[in-house]
Amino acid sequence: MRQFLSAVFLLVACALPALAQNSSIPPEEFNNTSRLSGDSINVCFDRTSLGLAFDQDVARAIGDALFLRVEAIEGFGGFPLNGDALLDEVTLAMTNTCDVFMGVSVSPNSPVSDAFAITRPYATFPFVLAVADPDWQRLGDIPKSRKLGTAMASMGEMNYITWAQQQPENERWVRLPYADFDLMTTRVLDGSIAGMILWQPALARILASRPDAKVLRVIDSAPVPSSETRVGALVSSRNSFLRAQIDEAIDAIVRDGTIAGLIEKHGYSGRAGE
Amino acid sequence: MKTLIKSLLMATAAFAVISAPALAQNTREYSPVTDEMLANPPAEDWLSFRGAYNNQGYSKLDLINKDTVDDLELAWAWPMAEAGIQETAPLIHDGILFLQTNNNIVEALDAKTGDRIWTYIHELPELPASWSYQLNQARRQKASIALYQDKVVLTTVDAKIVVLNALDGKVVWEKQVLDYNKGYSYTVGPIVVDNKIISAISGCSIAGTAGGCYILAHDFETGEELWRFNTINDPDNPEQQASWGEVPPENRWGGTPWTIGSYDPETRTTFWGIGMPGPYSELIRGSGDGSVLYTNSTIALDIDTGKLKWYYQHLPRDNWDLDSPFERILVDQEVDGEVKKMLVTVAGKNGIAFGLDRETGKYLWHKETVHQNVVTGIDPDGTVHINEDLVAKAVGEEHLVCASVSGGKLWQAGSYSPLTQAYYVPLTEACNTVAPTQTEFTAGNAVGAMKFGPRVLPEGVTEAGLVQAIAVTPTSGKTKWDYRSRPTPTSSVLATAGGLVFGGDAARDVKAWDQETGEVVWSQRLNAPIGGYPATYAVDGEQYLVVPTGYSNSASSISSAFPEIPLPTGSGNSIFVFKLPSK
Repeated sequence: MRQFLSAVFLLVACALPALAQNSSIPPEEFNNTSRLSGDSINVCFDRTSLGLAFDQDVARAIGDALFLRVEAIEGFGGFPLNGDALLDEVTLAMTNTCDVFMGVSVSPNSPVSDAFAITRPYATFPFVLAVADPDWQRLGDIPKSRKLGTAMASMGEMNYITWAQQQPENERWVRLPYADFDLMTTRVLDGSIAGMILWQPALARILASRPDAKVLRVIDSAPVPSSETRVGALVSSRNSFLRAQIDEAIDAIVRDGTIAGLIEKHGYSGRAGE
Repeated sequence: MKTLIKSLLMATAAFAVISAPALAQNTREYSPVTDEMLANPPAEDWLSFRGAYNNQGYSKLDLINKDTVDDLELAWAWPMAEAGIQETAPLIHDGILFLQTNNNIVEALDAKTGDRIWTYIHELPELPASWSYQLNQARRQKASIALYQDKVVLTTVDAKIVVLNALDGKVVWEKQVLDYNKGYSYTVGPIVVDNKIISAISGCSIAGTAGGCYILAHDFETGEELWRFNTINDPDNPEQQASWGEVPPENRWGGTPWTIGSYDPETRTTFWGIGMPGPYSELIRGSGDGSVLYTNSTIALDIDTGKLKWYYQHLPRDNWDLDSPFERILVDQEVDGEVKKMLVTVAGKNGIAFGLDRETGKYLWHKETVHQNVVTGIDPDGTVHINEDLVAKAVGEEHLVCASVSGGKLWQAGSYSPLTQAYYVPLTEACNTVAPTQTEFTAGNAVGAMKFGPRVLPEGVTEAGLVQAIAVTPTSGKTKWDYRSRPTPTSSVLATAGGLVFGGDAARDVKAWDQETGEVVWSQRLNAPIGGYPATYAVDGEQYLVVPTGYSNSASSISSAFPEIPLPTGSGNSIFVFKLPSK
């Protein structure tokens, strides 16, 4: 199995974009060579990923399932809120370095190009509403005069905006976008905002790192419908064999409870697979 | 691979810095560049990004003119030290040509022979291996240097000011201005006035830079910070605060001043253009129908205090990433014995030209150039009305917006000729769809809140390129001539006392137009799209024309509009220097 995979990698690992001045990346930036993967795969991670440690564990589990050594590579980070140049760097990383990129959002609005394919999701996690006030049990309990924070550009934020746009103005909460979740937490704790809508793994990280955040509670987001993000990995579209193998490995580790165990290990609330 | 390149660069840097003095053994004389020279440069020099403090992009040299331009021949050429997107502005003084390229490499070349005098390679920190946005910014460094006294002042991608000796490239001092770990990064250079280095930071759309985007002044001798002006948080102006609705400063982004400002020594005022707000869509940023000051504005600052004198907003309530940071040109015209002091600009990507009274900021006139549909009208008092039909009311709501996110107008600067009293502007006809769309890449993370479609030509338009000459008066801007072409202009333009305008396009052609008529009187095909900022200078009584070429985003982003013109595979970042035959 291992030898067969290696041979296939040799044949298909090269997924170069067209080398002309028709993209925003100078062609000199691309490696015009195939990677010799041997019995390992290069697995990249966004260093700012909210579920980085979880994704690293999942990558190791996928590697084990495929009898491949996982070479973990810290990917990129530090992008603007508008995503400028992000896809340039995804293209560069996937062409030059990464066989697989972990922790990718599996959604209809995925910004990645057709050159790359997203695997099936290995986990699904909800967006949650966290508050400090013990009297509130649901979003509807929060006075409309108070403000909410949302994780900038997240599916949870989109969900809230879509709901809010359907309500009369006096029935909405004023919402402020945050890219820094630590700052958003501080603002919940100091009362500047009543609560925050963010991805549960992000909240888990805050709860694990900030003792002062222990007072935060997750309450029902009603009347705003709940939302969630599915998490998968990115592979080259040309490497359909690798994608199929990884999909099969994900299926296997979802079925055998590996993912569920990792979700519990990291203190996440969500589910394995879709 | 990147790590390897970085290691090689570091090794080379050490070598280059050490070897510089040996290479600089010469008897060159270098006269200090003074404020007076920067305001009124000697004809033979090109001392700053657009030639002079007024940003006119005009040279008083006239040996190369309508009668002689056809005789131009190649004097020398030089490959740039680094790949990447090519937006350089060569500067020339006392026979030395200073060339900055991506990754903050600066080279000094003999302007007559093209021989290298010294090379400075800025040592970037190791961290960018995982800070891809900074690496990306390093590949698109614009006009990053200024000349002052006997020094070269460089701004860097890791948010430093570095002062070099002009004659040997040795570092005199360097200062970490802002924290690049937060995302701050210089992409344009400074101006230096009255011993103050005035610079503008970029990276103001990154999570860590929330609430602060700055124009700063530092002491030229010591690097001490003298003042800073925050383009998105002005506590002295309640109107500015109210314009963001209920959004407090810590939740504001954008306002990047990413084109070098101009300066009026008479009033000790510096003028800068400011970019778009972040996030792009008001639906996401939460600012309601507020105008989100000072985004998309011209701001006039007192150079001694950094205090705002006035502002004028060219595009309030931007929802489409149509920044307005481009060149602010200072123009004086005498009318009935009275000197009218104007600021003229095609401020933003939508290509609308404005004339302002630069002493008061009062609106004088405007003129549309390329197809645009975001501004529906401008009142006599200068109030700009936007097309509210193009403001998305729901996530995913898509609109076709003209001009496109890459212009219309972009960084390529226009020039003003006192000979013809006309402003020559390189432009592109383009539109794209825009929709506020949450687009996570890594799950749960903030990386995108807007989806742009590809750049397309406006309906009924077949020529992407436009160079427009705008006749400027204190009361109007009117079309003097239009030059339309299939390929898009990809360089800034240069006007000269020889009656010519020089510039170039995606088809690799550098051209000279007759300032009066728009007729192309000279054209030369080079190795790559024409880029950067063409300049001219003189050595030993001979006039030279320097033309940068190389990798061009402006070409690649609309290449589908001229498929018959193949773009090169390589970057080819170079400068080509032309002159007339020696007599």
